[in-house]
Amino acid sequence: MSEETTKLEEKTEQSTGPKEWQPSILAILCNWCSYAGADLAGSARMQYPETVRIVRVPCSGRADPMFVLKGFQKGFDGVMVLGCHPGDCHYAKGNYYARRRIALTADLLKALGIPPERFHFEWVSASEGNRFSALIKEFTAQVKALGPFEGVARKR
Amino acid sequence: MSDIQNKIQEEAKKALESGQVGLVIGWGAGSVPFKTTPVFIEKPEDVEKLVWNPVCVNNLAVYLPKMARDRKVGVVAKPCDIRSIVTLIREKQLKRENVFIIGLACGGVIDATKLASSALSEVPEVPSAETLREQCKVCDSRTPSVSDVTIGEATARAEDLKIEIEGLSEDRQAYWAEQFSRCIRCYACRQVCPGCYCDTCFCDRIEPKWTSKKATADEAWMFHATRAMHLAGRCIGCGECERVCPVGIPAVELARELNAIAKERYGFDPGSGEEEKPLLGSFTDGDYDPAHHSE
Repeated sequence: MSEETTKLEEKTEQSTGPKEWQPSILAILCNWCSYAGADLAGSARMQYPETVRIVRVPCSGRADPMFVLKGFQKGFDGVMVLGCHPGDCHYAKGNYYARRRIALTADLLKALGIPPERFHFEWVSASEGNRFSALIKEFTAQVKALGPFEGVARKR
Repeated sequence: MSDIQNKIQEEAKKALESGQVGLVIGWGAGSVPFKTTPVFIEKPEDVEKLVWNPVCVNNLAVYLPKMARDRKVGVVAKPCDIRSIVTLIREKQLKRENVFIIGLACGGVIDATKLASSALSEVPEVPSAETLREQCKVCDSRTPSVSDVTIGEATARAEDLKIEIEGLSEDRQAYWAEQFSRCIRCYACRQVCPGCYCDTCFCDRIEPKWTSKKATADEAWMFHATRAMHLAGRCIGCGECERVCPVGIPAVELARELNAIAKERYGFDPGSGEEEKPLLGSFTDGDYDPAHHSE
């Protein structure tokens, strides 16, 4: 590492303090609403934490519970699924199927002992860019408070 | 009891002789005491192999999707097995006209592992509270909901059972991590499950690779968690997965819990009616909304 970069890092550390732990969050977003909402948040230069990794799906009905489980297996600290408001589905009823499926997924996670605060389901429309950024901030803070997820194979 | 056994043999013989069915699936004597094994009867003279006693635990519905695909098959079934059959019909894995159900009234069956330790010389007619299988303690189906022939009358439970199933431990994440760490990924739970009829199971897929073949705790977690999700609102709680597990993982507990939620929240009871749509294949306008409850 060159001297200059070291100095630069020192400078950054001085200004912002030591790098804080940030959770990593998996967000499964519907193409027609929340993904566009995230896009709007970006193009409007709204700030939200860079903790979130976005997976675009054609509909919240495509958000397979296995995606959520896989996220936790692979060590994400939190998983969120966002879809169109009831009545607004691009495919008429995909989000109604998602509603039951995701509700049961949340129950399964609870039964498996994963804190419910690590999973979030919400309706976000394409025009709700500010709501999207607020949600990410909120959920990031919520997961951060819980600390790192120690994995599904954690023993006592 | 032998009365019931005789009637089963009689009905099976009638069905085979008339050509109504080409095969009858039932229970036969096992190779060791207190064990029964599935038997497949094709000739009327073989019906004597059929037995009935409270150690007839196997859920024979598991054979139906493949064996009753192109022909009519007779099956001897307890009320819980019939719930499996109803689920298979609802999910279009079985045609109602392809199955001849010899339904039995049932007062619960015996957990053979408990029987061995209680040192009984012969199989009791009605299981006692100590030997009753766990899932029979919470079972409400005493008589067949659907059948072509019904044999016997609903037997009362041995006594008024107020046995509570041991609650799950506080720290469930550690509890399940401990349970799943024993999993050797033999997939016996899947093979014996009447609900697991997919031609290619998600865990056998190479692409996408949902779980690897490694028998590590997190891969086992992924397998069991996904299997529980796939059985949500479909598992009838026969407990076969738990019975066949060589390392004693109580996999049915997860499904039982999801089913309790399905019943309470959506009024859905798997295996109760033939016409209903699957739980996750339907919705109503006023469904519970997880979005407004997650905080």
